[in-house]
Amino acid sequence: MFKKQLLTLMPAVLLIFAGNAIAAKEPIKFGLTLDYTKAYVFATPSFGQAIEDYVKYVNMKGGIDGHPIELLNSDHGNEPQRGIEAYERKKREGAIAFEHLSTPVSKAVLPKAMNDKVVMMQMLTGRADAADGEVFPYIFPVSPTYWAMAANIIQYIAESVDDIKKAKVAFTYLDYPFGQEPIPIYKALSEELGFELKLFPISLPGTDQSGVWSNIRRFKPDYVISWSFAQLHNIAMTEMKRNRIPVDKYISVIWISKNDLKSYGFEKAKGVKRVEGVVTGTDSPIVQDILKTLYDTGQGSGPRENVGLLYYMAAFTEMVTVVEGMRLGLEKYGAPLTSEKLKMGLESLKGFDAKGLMAPITITPADHQGGGQTRIAEWDGSEWVPQSDWNAAYSDLVWRVIKEHSTKYKSGQ
Amino acid sequence: MFYRQAAIRHTSYDQTKKLYPIPFDKWLVVAVLLVALLAPFMMSGLYLNSYLLPWVIWSTAALSLNLLMGYAGQIHLGYAAVMAIGAYSSVHAMRLGVPFEFALILGGATAMIIGVGFGFTALRVKGLYLAISTLAVQYLVDWVLTHVPAIGGGTQATLQTPTPALLGFEITTDIGRYYLAFGWCALVTIFMLNVKRTGLGRALIAVREKDYAASVLGVNSYYYKLIAFAVSSFFGGVTGAILAFTFFGAVTPEQYSIDISIQILAMVVVGGLGSVLGSFFGAGFILLAPLFLNNMVTGMAEAYDFGVSRSILSHIPLILYGGLIMLFLLFEPLGLAKIYDNIRKYFLVWPFGFSRR
Repeated sequence: MFKKQLLTLMPAVLLIFAGNAIAAKEPIKFGLTLDYTKAYVFATPSFGQAIEDYVKYVNMKGGIDGHPIELLNSDHGNEPQRGIEAYERKKREGAIAFEHLSTPVSKAVLPKAMNDKVVMMQMLTGRADAADGEVFPYIFPVSPTYWAMAANIIQYIAESVDDIKKAKVAFTYLDYPFGQEPIPIYKALSEELGFELKLFPISLPGTDQSGVWSNIRRFKPDYVISWSFAQLHNIAMTEMKRNRIPVDKYISVIWISKNDLKSYGFEKAKGVKRVEGVVTGTDSPIVQDILKTLYDTGQGSGPRENVGLLYYMAAFTEMVTVVEGMRLGLEKYGAPLTSEKLKMGLESLKGFDAKGLMAPITITPADHQGGGQTRIAEWDGSEWVPQSDWNAAYSDLVWRVIKEHSTKYKSGQ
Repeated sequence: MFYRQAAIRHTSYDQTKKLYPIPFDKWLVVAVLLVALLAPFMMSGLYLNSYLLPWVIWSTAALSLNLLMGYAGQIHLGYAAVMAIGAYSSVHAMRLGVPFEFALILGGATAMIIGVGFGFTALRVKGLYLAISTLAVQYLVDWVLTHVPAIGGGTQATLQTPTPALLGFEITTDIGRYYLAFGWCALVTIFMLNVKRTGLGRALIAVREKDYAASVLGVNSYYYKLIAFAVSSFFGGVTGAILAFTFFGAVTPEQYSIDISIQILAMVVVGGLGSVLGSFFGAGFILLAPLFLNNMVTGMAEAYDFGVSRSILSHIPLILYGGLIMLFLLFEPLGLAKIYDNIRKYFLVWPFGFSRR
C-alpha cells in the first residue's frame, strides 16, 4: 500500500526538484503598467513591445547572473486611480521598479513611490526636475530632460544662423503642461543670447492650427521649434506649406517618428529636424541581434516593423539601462535585489551608452539625468541623419532651473 | 420572511415618516454600516487604499451630483471642475495657515460661490443647453489651473497637500484617512436621505418634474434651482478636497479632468437618478468594474495563453465593461438602484409572489 502511494508521489516529487533546477534563482520583478487603451495608444504598443523583447532576450541569455526578469504587466488607461491600484498591486507582488508612461499616473504614483522607496523609471518622460537625485532619490529619468533638449536646440540654432542676436525663433506648443514646460528655458536663453522669441500656443486637441501658422508667417522666424507629437506634426507641416514656410525650419521635440511622417509624405518632409535622445533605426548590433534571435525565430512580442522606430527604441534603451543597473546592483550588493540596491546600481552607471543606443550617461546620487546630451537629426527622405555629435549646452542654466523647481517641490509645491 | 411587514402599524405621522419603516431594512443598513466601520481592520492595505477608499469618496461625489441632477433635475457636465475648485482652495487655504476643518469649509464655500455663478445660467436655459453651459465650467477651470501659476502652481507642479488634522489630531495613517472620507460620506448620505422629507426636497422635486407647474404651486423655481446648485457645489467642493487630502495626497489638474466629470455623471445615471443607494452602486460599478475586469482578464491570459497581443488584451475589459453598462441599462433603464428595488419588492411578498398580480 505504502509503496503504491510512494509511486504515485514520485512524479510530483521529481517535478518539484526539476522546477527548482530551472528556476535556480528567484526572478527580478519589474512593474510595467502602461496605457494601452486611452491617450498614449500612439506610443504604448511599440513601447511595451520593446521592453518585452529585451526582457525575453536577457532571459534567453541566462538572465542577470542567473536571475530571470519577470514583467508584471497591466493597463491603467491613463487614469490616476487605476494607476495607483496597479502600482499597489504590483508592489505587493514584488516589483522593485516601475514604468508608467503616463503623466497623470506618474504624478499620482510619484509621492507613493518616494514614500515606499520604489524605483520609478521615466526615460524621456515625466517631470524634468526629477533629475535632481537629492530631492527625488527614487525617480530615474536617466536621459536628457525636456529642458536639456530645449537648450540644445537653441545651441544648434545659434550655430547655424549668422548672428544669434538678430535671429527670430518661434516656439509653437500644445497649450498644456507638456508644451508649456520648456518656456522658462527659452525665455532665459533669449535674454542671455539676445534672439527674439515669440510663443505660439496651440489650443488642445491641436487639430486646428491654421490661425497659429498664419501668425508665425507674419513673424518671419529663422526657426520654428515645436513641442507636440504624433499626427499633430502632419497638421503643422501642412499648415507650413500653406503659409509658404520651408519645412526645414521646423525643429521638433523628440516625439516625431518615421511613422508620423508617412501621411504627410516621406519625400515632402525632407529637411524636417528633430532633437534626438536615442539612436533609432535597426543598424546597431544589439538591435540586429534582437531581430535575429527573436524575430527571425518568430518570438518577437509584436510586429517586426516597429523595431527601430522611435517609441520602440526609447523603451528599449530604457530597459537596457535598467538591466545594467540591476546587474551592477547584484554585482556590488548581492542577491536578493531590492529597490534600494537597484537604486544604488543605477547610481553607479558611469559613461554608459546602452550598447551605443544613446549618448554616454553618468548617474550619481545627485544627478539622475546623466549629462543631458542630445543631437539634432534631419530627415533626408528615408531616414534621420544626425547633424551634430552628442552634446549638452547651457548645462548651468538647465541645472539652475532644475534646482529651482525641485526646491519648490521640496517645499510642498 | 425577509422584509417582514407583519405587526407594523402606523399610529402617528412621525411613524409614517420614518426612513426605514421595515425593521429588516433598518438592520441591513446597520449591518452595512458596521462592515464599513470594521473594514479597515479586515482588509489589506491594497484593498483599503485602492478599492474601498476611492469607492467611498467617489460615492460621495456621485451623491452630491445626484442632489443636483436626480432631485432638482439640473444636468451638470463639469462636476469635476467644481471638485477641483474645492480642492485647490482648501489646499491653498491650509498652506496659508487655516486649520484643516475650516480649510475644508472654505473650499466648499468657494466651490459654492463659483458654482452658483454658473448656476445662474440654469435660470435661462434648460436641458441640453444647460449641459453645454456647465461644460464651460470644466474648460474654464482647466484653463485657469494650467495657466495661472498662483493657483495651479506652474506648469509641472504637483501641489502636495499638507497633513490634515482634525481637532488637533494629525491624520497620518491609512485607517485615519479612510475614516475621514467615510465620516464625510456618512454626513452627505444622511443629508441626502433626509432632504427628501423636508420642504426643500419636495420643492426641488417639484422643480424637477416641471418648473412651470412648480411656480404655479407657489414654489419659486429660480430660487430653488440656485439652492440646488449651491448645496451641490458645496458638497462637491468638500468632496474634491477630501479626494485630494485622503486619496491622492496632492492636487494636479489631471485629477479633475473632463473624464472624471463624465465618470461621475455615468455613476449617477447608471446608479439611478435621484437614488441614494444608486449613487453607491453607480460609483462602485463605474470605478471598480474596470479594475476587476482588468485583473480578471490579465489573470485568465496568464493561465491560458490567448495568443493575442497585449494591446488587444487590454481592450477586452473595455468591451466587457461597455457591454455590462448597456446590459444593465437595457435590463433596467432606471439604474442599478432599481434592480435592487425589484429584488427587494420580490422578497417583500415572497413566497406569496402571486399576490402582487
